[in-house]
Amino acid sequence: MKELDDYKYALDESAIVAITDPKGIIIHANDNFCKISKYTRKELLGMDHRIINSGFHPKEFIRELWVTIANGKIWKGELKNKAKDGTVYWVDTTIVPFLNQEGKPYQYVAIRSDITQRKLSEENLLKSLKEVSDYKFALDESSIVAITDQKGIINFVNDNFCKISKFSREELIGKDHRIINSGYHSQEFICDLWITIANGKIWKGELKNRAKDGSYYWVDTTIVPFLNEEGKPFQYVAIRSDITLRKKAEEDLIKYSSALEFKNTQLIDFCNIVSHNLRAPLINISMLIDYIDQSTDGEERQMMHDKIKPVVNHLMEIFNELVESIQVQQETGIESDKIHLKDCLDKVLIGFEAQIEEYEANIELDAGKASIIYFPHKYFESIVANLVSNALKYKSPERKPNIKIESKKVNNTVLLSVRDNGLGIDLDLHKCNLFKIRKTFHKHPDAKGFGLFMIKTQIESMGGKIWVESKPGVGSIFFVEFNNQNL
Amino acid sequence: MTSIKQLTLVDDDEVFVFLTSKMLEQSKLVDLIKIFENGYDALVFIKENLGNIEALPDIILLDLSMPIMDGWQFLEGFVKINPSIGKKIIIYICSSSISPDDVIRAKAINEVSDFIIKPMTKDKLVEMIKNL
Repeated sequence: MKELDDYKYALDESAIVAITDPKGIIIHANDNFCKISKYTRKELLGMDHRIINSGFHPKEFIRELWVTIANGKIWKGELKNKAKDGTVYWVDTTIVPFLNQEGKPYQYVAIRSDITQRKLSEENLLKSLKEVSDYKFALDESSIVAITDQKGIINFVNDNFCKISKFSREELIGKDHRIINSGYHSQEFICDLWITIANGKIWKGELKNRAKDGSYYWVDTTIVPFLNEEGKPFQYVAIRSDITLRKKAEEDLIKYSSALEFKNTQLIDFCNIVSHNLRAPLINISMLIDYIDQSTDGEERQMMHDKIKPVVNHLMEIFNELVESIQVQQETGIESDKIHLKDCLDKVLIGFEAQIEEYEANIELDAGKASIIYFPHKYFESIVANLVSNALKYKSPERKPNIKIESKKVNNTVLLSVRDNGLGIDLDLHKCNLFKIRKTFHKHPDAKGFGLFMIKTQIESMGGKIWVESKPGVGSIFFVEFNNQNL
Repeated sequence: MTSIKQLTLVDDDEVFVFLTSKMLEQSKLVDLIKIFENGYDALVFIKENLGNIEALPDIILLDLSMPIMDGWQFLEGFVKINPSIGKKIIIYICSSSISPDDVIRAKAINEVSDFIIKPMTKDKLVEMIKNL
C-alpha cells in the first residue's frame, strides 16, 4: 500500500494528472494540472475537459479519442489546450480507462506532460522550411542559378541556366564552368574571382559567357560561398541575371560615341582649315586691293595688281584640296579592290623614275608576308605615291635615298611600313601637326602640306590608321594599318 | 608721335609681309623691320642675341600658322628663354584665324599682349605702337 502511494506521489510530481468520471466530468486535478491550465482546482472540479478545449483539433479527432477510451482502450496523443488566460499549451497525453468488473470504464485517468516548447519549435521549423522553399522558388523563377562544389564542379543548375547557356542539365552537371567560358576575361580577372570566393567572400561582377551554339551572353553575377563549421566553403551558389541587352547597348554607345568624337574632330579640323587656310589668302586679296585703291603711283599699283593673281591661284588650290578631302570623307561605302602590292608599287614608281635616277635611290619591297591588300585602288595608289614621294623629297643631302617598303599580316589587319634614311622629322615639335593640312616641316620649295593630310583622310575613311616614327638626321618610318583584310 | 627702333615680323605669308612692311615704312613709326618666315628662325635669332639689346626687337608681330615651327611653338620656346632676354619684348599675335579657341589660348599666355586678327591696317598699327 505504501508503494502504491509512492507511485501516485511520483506521478503527481512528474506529470499533469486529471481524473474524470465516465461522462468526462473532472473529479481530480493535481497541482501540475492547475499550474499549466492556470485554473484553480475549484474551478476545474465538476467541469468537463471542454474548459481547456483550444478548438484546434477537429471534431473527428476528439470523437476518435472518446471512442477509444469508452471502449476501455488507452489513448495516446498530443493535444493542444487553452489555459484560463487564453494562452495555449501542448501536452503529450495518455488516457487510461479504469474498468469495473463488467469491463466498462468507471473513470479515466489522464496523464499529460508539457510539450509546448517542442511543439513551438516544430511549428517554427515548419514555417522556416516553407519560407526557404518559397525563397528558392522565387530565386529559380527570377534568376540563373548554379551550385558547384568547392572544386567548381557543377552539381545543380536551374532551368534558366539551361535556357541561357543552351546546354541540357545532363551536359552541365559534373562539368566545371569552363564549359561556358568565353575567353573574354583575363586570367587575373578569373583568378581574383576564385581567390575571393575561396576565402569565403562574396564575389560580384559582370561575366561574358559562351553558350553551346557559340553565341555570347553577359550575366550580372553574385557568387555566394556556403561555409562549413570550420568556415571553409563547401559549395558555391552562383546567382546570375541576363544583362546581354544592356551590355550590347553599352558597347553600341561606346562605338557611336567614338565615331561621333571622330566626326567632331574632323569638323574642328575643318573649321581650323577654313579659319586659317582659306581666310589668309582672302585677306591678302583684300589688303592688296585696298593698297591699289589708296595708291596714286601707277607703277606701284601695277606691281600690287600683279601680286593678286598668285594669291587667287593659291586660294583656288587650297579650295580644291578641301573639296577633294571632303569628297573622301563623304565617300562612304567605297568598295575595296584586291591590290597586288608589287604591281601597284611598280606602277607608282614609274612616276618617280627621273627622281630615282637622279638621286640614285634604292627602293626595296618586302611583301612576302602580305602581298595582297584589300583597299580602294585609287586611295592605295595615292598613299604609296605620297609616302614614296616624301621619302624622295626629304632625302638627306649626305646619303643616297634608301627606301624600304614592307608589309605584314597582323590578325585581321595588314601593316604597311615605308622606311627611309632621309632628313627625319622632329616629332617633339611636329607630332600634332604632322597630318594636318598646309603644315610643312622642312624648307623645301615643293613642301605643300597636303599629301599626308590627304592620305590620312583616305585611310581613316576606311577605318585604318597612319602613324610615324622618326629621328631627325636618321630617317622616318610611316606605318599604315589596313583593316578587315580577312577576305 | 613716338616711334620704335625695331619691329620683327614672324610670318611666312609673303604678300602680308610685303604689305605690312610697306605700311610701316610709310608710317615712319619704326626705324628697322626684321622678317623671319617661321618661328624657328626667329627663336634661333633671339637665342643667339640674348644680351645683344641693339639687335633684339622691341615688338614682334607673330603669325600662328607657319611651317617648320608655328606661332604656338615659338611662344613655348620664347616663354622658356624670356627671363634671360636682356630686353622686354612685346609680342602681338597677328593671325588670319578667327577661331575663338585660338584667341582664348593666346590670352592664357602672359607674354602675348594682344591678338590682332588680319587684315592689318594702318589704324591698327598706329594704335598698337601708341599703346607701347
